[in-house]
Amino acid sequence: MKDVANYKDYALLSYHHIPGVNNIEVFEKAGGYETMKACFDKDPESIKEEVKLSGLRGRGGAGFPTGMKWGFFSKDRAAKKYLLCNADESEPGTFKDRYLVEKNPHILIEGMIISAWALATQKGYIYIRGEFHQQAVTLEKAIKEAYAKGYLGKNILGKGFDFDLYVHRGAGAYICGEETGMISSLEGKKGQPKLKPPFPAIKGYRGYPTMVNNVESLAAVSWIMRHGAAAYKQWGTEKSPGTKLFSISGDVNKPGVIEVPLSTSLKDIIEIHCGGMRNGKKLKAVIPGGSSCPIFDAEVSNVVKMDYEDVAAKGSMLGSGAIIVMDETRNMGDVLKWTLEFYHHESCGQCTPCREGTGWLESVFKRRDKGTAKKSDIDLLDKTASAMRGQTICALADAAAMPTQGMIKAFREELETYVSASPKK
Amino acid sequence: MTEKVKLTWNGKEIEAPKGSNLLQAALDNGIEVAHYCYHSGLSVAGVCRMCMVEQDGVPRTYPSCNATCAEGMVVRNDTPKIKAAVESTLQFHLLNHPLDCPVCDQAGECGLQDYYMKHGQYDSQMIDKKVHKEKVQDIGKNVMLDAERCILCSRCTRFTEEVTKTNELGILNRGDHAEITVNENLKNDYAQNLVDICPVGALTSKDFRFKQRVWFLEEVQTTCIGCATGCSVKVSQNKNGAYRVKPIYDHEVNGHWMCDDGRNIYKHVSSPTRLQNASENINGLFVPVDEANVQNSVKNKKAKYILTAALTNGEYTNFFNAIKGSKAEIGLYTLPDQGPEFDGILRRGDKNANSRGAKAAFELAGYDHSQAALDKLLNGISSSDVVYVVIPEILYNEDHFNTLIAKVEKAAVRIALTPGETLSTLRAFNYLLPVPSFLEKNGEIINYQGSNRKLRAGRAYGEISKDVSYYGKWVNV
Repeated sequence: MKDVANYKDYALLSYHHIPGVNNIEVFEKAGGYETMKACFDKDPESIKEEVKLSGLRGRGGAGFPTGMKWGFFSKDRAAKKYLLCNADESEPGTFKDRYLVEKNPHILIEGMIISAWALATQKGYIYIRGEFHQQAVTLEKAIKEAYAKGYLGKNILGKGFDFDLYVHRGAGAYICGEETGMISSLEGKKGQPKLKPPFPAIKGYRGYPTMVNNVESLAAVSWIMRHGAAAYKQWGTEKSPGTKLFSISGDVNKPGVIEVPLSTSLKDIIEIHCGGMRNGKKLKAVIPGGSSCPIFDAEVSNVVKMDYEDVAAKGSMLGSGAIIVMDETRNMGDVLKWTLEFYHHESCGQCTPCREGTGWLESVFKRRDKGTAKKSDIDLLDKTASAMRGQTICALADAAAMPTQGMIKAFREELETYVSASPKK
Repeated sequence: MTEKVKLTWNGKEIEAPKGSNLLQAALDNGIEVAHYCYHSGLSVAGVCRMCMVEQDGVPRTYPSCNATCAEGMVVRNDTPKIKAAVESTLQFHLLNHPLDCPVCDQAGECGLQDYYMKHGQYDSQMIDKKVHKEKVQDIGKNVMLDAERCILCSRCTRFTEEVTKTNELGILNRGDHAEITVNENLKNDYAQNLVDICPVGALTSKDFRFKQRVWFLEEVQTTCIGCATGCSVKVSQNKNGAYRVKPIYDHEVNGHWMCDDGRNIYKHVSSPTRLQNASENINGLFVPVDEANVQNSVKNKKAKYILTAALTNGEYTNFFNAIKGSKAEIGLYTLPDQGPEFDGILRRGDKNANSRGAKAAFELAGYDHSQAALDKLLNGISSSDVVYVVIPEILYNEDHFNTLIAKVEKAAVRIALTPGETLSTLRAFNYLLPVPSFLEKNGEIINYQGSNRKLRAGRAYGEISKDVSYYGKWVNV
């Protein structure tokens, strides 16, 4: 089988092989912004319908159907509304949006203008992770170019439609990737998720209806509008149509970002697209969707298909498509330790189960450092993680609890050995 | 009239206004729902996660504080799932709590203690190092902060943001290192409400700290006499004295809150220097004296009474009945306004608890309550007069009152009727006679709205029966 990753065969990365496509002239020569112009002649409702038909699911991690989310949004075209693009990409292991915008910022901007027209939002923000400095610069340059062409600003292409787009850089908090945490941060407040309901589609940024979509989702909108929902559905499955960007890291020969149809098998992704395991080592485990997703052992990794339903059926989540591959030399105890340290550090501290739970999970798992660990601590971890799930405003508590429970399920013995062995000699 | 809906909580059918808060509906109907962050006077935060419920037809559990009542809802918080969740969440609340209950003023009325007995009673599995935060922080305005007792319910930050709009408090840092911090020391006039709304011992009152265990206190519900607002309050007291004043929720007048000035109204009541006996001024020293001696000294002298505007309606009526037919002159001393007429929350510039009642009583009895009448009375004082001055119970502006005292010096006999302490300014009087304080009276005062507010007697720490009207009768001696 041919390694098709990063090539023009698919959707979102189909411009990436063109040199200088981050420049608006090059992008337009390749057919960019044609779709946007065509869309202004279309009924906004028909655009929403097309996106709904395509079955596109939110690419930020939750996989909620984008078309349905748009359906909840106010149809009042005169009302003040916002479109936010979530480019915070804070899930450890994920770097797909970064790759998408650094090479081709215009596909996102085009997608956002089409979405803004469909949703009748007058202002848009791209909330980008603070560490993505170069990408923010790239985006800002691209936005300037789009303004110069009259694709952004007042009365776009004489259609009487206004849309202003801004780049806002975050300050590096995991929780600002959660849509309401991001809205708080954008409002200038502490990045803490907001209580739902009301959902942002009803009451979001500064109290106005706000649509928050991931970079990859918005970029896909421009592709879907260009080629049609039917063309998008040629890939993937009934419930997971289309292509997906996967960020692959870890012990493979060729880590990086690839675009493949959903439902491609994980084995193929590793063996074909990533050139197999590094140094001929044996596969031990794979985190399929980012650090918050339960881990797969080698056995499951070899059979799982990377689509929303199959990954879920096997007990994990497709998440943001961050595949972390680990070979036989990796210690699962260390993996869990780092995961727990991360979530302890990133809990925003609002809801009690998460604020106290994330810290305690770490303390319990690190009892080996003080020589107070027992094998039964693993049960305590499991119980504590279970108590955190479904109890909080946002999914951060679950994001800490699920990989903990997943790790215990898949590698209990190794963890028991890990906690009972003192690291101090 | 708002539309009512019927819903079922734990199998009990209750009625609540449509769209009203689901948790509040349960509380109003006597259904117990554990909660820390919810407070009906503040916005909903939904962070303590204690009030979770299950609803028929809704897949996920959710916090009832963030839901509204709708017709036919069936919710429960007594299912095994919810009970387990509440126990776990309580465990998380207590995880890093210092458990210093023996030295904590909140003990006995603490949300953590109460819910542990009701929903917890598990064995602790915490053998790890707790997260420590700064204790004993004086954050101004009589409020002390202990950051590690705090459960971060955010009631206090919401209070300073929404009620006083002064934003002195905030939450700094994240995760289990998050803590309440002061942007600047408390400067609002309602700061001690923070102590009331804090469900744990993180915010305590400097005034009340270490003075008394709450289980040794009883409460008397009365009305604040600090200004014309007349907030509903409760005074905590026992045989050793009164210890604190807290607001009672009163929809009509004060809502949930009261001001910091009102917190101090109890202080003179059980003060060790409170006047207990009739006393005579002998060279600046007050020495107990037989009441008959005082009576003798006022014989055949022309009586002039200066009343305050903080007595009860009943006291005024009895007083005017007592002096009826006499030639006594009566004046009304009103405290001068302090600050703006109304501060936008509760406090009024009119510091007289019962100006409306006093004026009505004067008019009914045919006396002039104006300042001009008082001035005329004062200017007319001669050496054949006896002047009775009722000392204001809460004296905001001592200088203003001293100018009045200076004017009565011409009188032959000067008598102070005081419900409070033996102040140095009272040396201008020949005799001091004790009268009941607001905490020893049953009666009514009329607040600025014109509504009758009830004073209720609690334990007595001084004179209880001989009030102003008793001395009014001396006019005929």
